[in-house]
Amino acid sequence: MRPILLQGHERSLTQIKYTKDGDILFSCAKDQIICAWFSANGERLGTYHGHQGALWSIDVDPSTTLLASGAADNTVRLWDVRTGKCIKVWDFNTAVKRVEFNEDGTKLLAVTEKRMGFLGTIVVFDIVPDVDAEQTNERALTITCDESKATVAAWSYLSKYIIAGHEDGSVSQYDAKTGELLDNFQAHEVDMEIKDIQMSPDRTYFITASKDKFAKLLSARDLSPLKQYATETSLNSAALTPKKPFVVLGGGQAAMDVTKTSSRQGKFEARFYHKIFEDEIGRVKGHFGPLNTVAVDPLGRGYASGGEDGYVRVHHFEGAYWGFQYEVEREKGEESADL
Amino acid sequence: QDRIEEDKEKGAIVDERRRLLSEWMAYLQREREEVREERRELGLDVDEEDKARAEEVEKDGKVVE
Repeated sequence: MRPILLQGHERSLTQIKYTKDGDILFSCAKDQIICAWFSANGERLGTYHGHQGALWSIDVDPSTTLLASGAADNTVRLWDVRTGKCIKVWDFNTAVKRVEFNEDGTKLLAVTEKRMGFLGTIVVFDIVPDVDAEQTNERALTITCDESKATVAAWSYLSKYIIAGHEDGSVSQYDAKTGELLDNFQAHEVDMEIKDIQMSPDRTYFITASKDKFAKLLSARDLSPLKQYATETSLNSAALTPKKPFVVLGGGQAAMDVTKTSSRQGKFEARFYHKIFEDEIGRVKGHFGPLNTVAVDPLGRGYASGGEDGYVRVHHFEGAYWGFQYEVEREKGEESADL
Repeated sequence: QDRIEEDKEKGAIVDERRRLLSEWMAYLQREREEVREERRELGLDVDEEDKARAEEVEKDGKVVE
């Protein structure tokens, strides 16, 4: 599995996103720019300039028409994917840590940072998935997190719920129409921040990654815990692989937390676990610092990781990956094709 | 004797995996059915499987006529 190294960012990566067809990869970093790349060969397609602060989050709508971004300059921006033009700016009082489109691209959520005088919030905008349309200034919804600020959030199936991960290690389920808090569950160790939430393709369950060194699979319907993956390092990101029942985890101790030895160079690894059996099944080395973000091609052909080292590494899955199966899965044959 | 113990252990692991796999498959099936039901209630497009079933029902209806 020889990776393609994408060199284009000058500072740590914060998020990576594939388009729905997996052909284009978007990356954002603390260097204030967004890059678009062809995932097949790593060729850079273009950049999106305009933010005046570190970028924390990006997302692309399901029709690859609009790109949304959230940054430390207290704005959410909407971009025309094709031309790279910024078509909308929403201003906030604090930094924007996370943005995500719902499954049909008609709504966008944004998670705002907590700061003196301002509580953390999750806001929702109605979106017209057309680059020429006038986008609204009005918020369709504002959820205020008065217990523990949200660090990440995602849309469930049918855009029914907004699922949020919090600084205190808990997960919340909100009614996506009314904003009512329906449930809160201490999924991770107390005060171990949840760094990432990624939904399954059908958005009925999701995976969390936390500083407590665990990644967990929970039901979006009732937050019931389904599976958990134990590692020996603080986790920043977790993704699910379609077509194979695996999960990919990224993390690593920050440089200041480890004894600096040259032997650690390039040893930050993406970890693969079996989604159902919870066993670790493989590791991929390469980064020179913690993995801040991992993403999987929605068609399951490969994955990409973005590091604190400023690099994006794109991997295409090969034979051994596709052939990996437990005996009990083989027994089930066709039935176990879609897990 | 060690062999037998080892085989027993392996057998237990395989049984446990078999159980986890069936449990997961049952969970997915339940979840997919519930979402399909919710989509139907909301008057949204149902998936291919449902379309096929709907067509069949239609056909059956005609036969009855």
